[in-house]
Amino acid sequence: MKWFKGAALATMALTLVFGSFSASNTAEAASKKLSGKIVINGSSALLPLTLQAANEFKKLNPKVKISASAAGSITGPQSVRKGIADIGAVDWDATQDVPGFKKFDGQVAHKVAVTPFAAIVNKNVKVDDLTTKQLQDIFSGKVTNWKDVGGDNADIVVVNRAFGSGTRVNFQMKALMGTDFMTKGNNYKEVKSSGDMKTAVETTPNAIGYIDLPYVTSKMTALKINGIAATTENVVNGKYKVWGYGYYMTKGPATGAVKAFIEYVQSKEFQNGSLKKLKFIPLSAMK
Amino acid sequence: MLETSSTGATAAQGEMTHSLKSGTGRGFDRRARLRWANKTFKMFCIACAVFVCLVLFLILFFMFRTGVLTFLDVSPLEFFFSADWTPEEDRFGALVFIFGTFALTALTLLIAVPVSIFIAIFLAELTPKWLKNMLRPVIDLLVGIPSVVYGYLGFTLLIPAIRSVTGTSMGDGLLAAALVLAIMVLPTISRLSDDAITAVPHKYIQASYALGATRFQTIFKVTLPAARSGIMYAVILGMARAIGETMAVVMVIGNTPQLASSLLTPTSVLTSNIVMQIPNVEFDSTWNNALYLMGFILLLISLLMIVAIRFLERKGARGA
Repeated sequence: MKWFKGAALATMALTLVFGSFSASNTAEAASKKLSGKIVINGSSALLPLTLQAANEFKKLNPKVKISASAAGSITGPQSVRKGIADIGAVDWDATQDVPGFKKFDGQVAHKVAVTPFAAIVNKNVKVDDLTTKQLQDIFSGKVTNWKDVGGDNADIVVVNRAFGSGTRVNFQMKALMGTDFMTKGNNYKEVKSSGDMKTAVETTPNAIGYIDLPYVTSKMTALKINGIAATTENVVNGKYKVWGYGYYMTKGPATGAVKAFIEYVQSKEFQNGSLKKLKFIPLSAMK
Repeated sequence: MLETSSTGATAAQGEMTHSLKSGTGRGFDRRARLRWANKTFKMFCIACAVFVCLVLFLILFFMFRTGVLTFLDVSPLEFFFSADWTPEEDRFGALVFIFGTFALTALTLLIAVPVSIFIAIFLAELTPKWLKNMLRPVIDLLVGIPSVVYGYLGFTLLIPAIRSVTGTSMGDGLLAAALVLAIMVLPTISRLSDDAITAVPHKYIQASYALGATRFQTIFKVTLPAARSGIMYAVILGMARAIGETMAVVMVIGNTPQLASSLLTPTSVLTSNIVMQIPNVEFDSTWNNALYLMGFILLLISLLMIVAIRFLERKGARGA
């Protein structure tokens, strides 16, 4: 009986392994009218939104299967190019060149949400307002002491996201106006995810970093940039410039179930309902 | 190893024929059936073994095949001996990470090995039995704690502590990583060394006492040398664990591609750099290949460790 159990286990393992292979192969199968399979990969920042939308969409269209995962912004358009995914979620417009990444030809970008980003500092930092120039100097390593920007005499600890993070691309383009980050130094470190960034800035005195606005907690200070506070209202009324669209990339124009899903995410009902609850800003709010 | 299993098999066969002889007239049928079952089972086992070996070699082959493509764009000289890792601008010097990996492992062992051996001596020689029976499971439990927990504790408790003790503003670096890793490998090294010391034949110790040696002299001049190969085995197993550890290290090392000039400089090792960058790298790029090559180097290092363990095992068996 023992070997039978072993055999059964081995078969199960094999089925799992090969099952997952076939799952990725069928991804490309063209979907007919509101039945089929949608595979979504890419940005982890957009994942909560995608999952919520998928749940609601599946209720309306029970025949459509949606699987969503996230490994980082750049994997979105890459998976679409390789045919692994139907939709690639990404925090920047991947049909354009951005610092460090070339554009993806032949893909179409669909705007789905607005994400604001904030520069954040540890609670012990006295500074709460920085100009664009001061931010550039701090993140490029020219200014290394808080007293040079109106704070205490203490070394600045810069926390950065790793290259390829969508938050990093947006922060570099919108808050630093494209200037380069430093890459090494005694008071410089990189973290893997938004969660790590949050913990690092919360627990390290004199630390500065940046994060999606929904992640900002009471244990850190979101800096004003050029005198303007990082709030959703200021994003909507156009004063606060550090925000970016979240995109769904598709290979060519979207068709079938994929198109229906993207339209559902862009619909007023979803944008003003669940999307707002998840602390993203609806597309319609931006002019 | 092979020998013991084959003798086991012959014994089982002997038993089988014996039972057949004493069985009833339908023995031939039964024998055919048994032989069929045995054969199928054997084939199944062989298939499983071959499958596992195949998987291992495919992993090695795939890592090597992808990794070696790096050298189309980067010279081996630059890859192994340059400390300039700026992949955004096509500069791939992996020296920082290779050096970091060895430095981190060495530092970890420097902290963990003496402590572990003292724990092992305490457990094997100096403790009353009831305390031994209590302590051993506790230390075994430490092995089961997921590494991400160690990493998180390092991130939230150890680093602030280092910061306040040393007065630096960050605290990330080799020291923090080595402390976290040392606690992780401590149970592995101490329990295996404990077993090695317990396995030292009692007559050696008796003889030592008979010659008038003190307990201290006996432990350091007789027991430890006799258990040496077992302790080495424990150290190498601990080292293999330390080299491959990723989750805990990435949270406390700082992830900055620079050579560590001090124990408190944020730096990076092979594992941490791979896990930091692989999600964000374009497929089929030199960068991607370079990360695979780093993974391959890591695999090679662990394989060499396993070969070393086998070597020591054989040596130990011959000595005993």
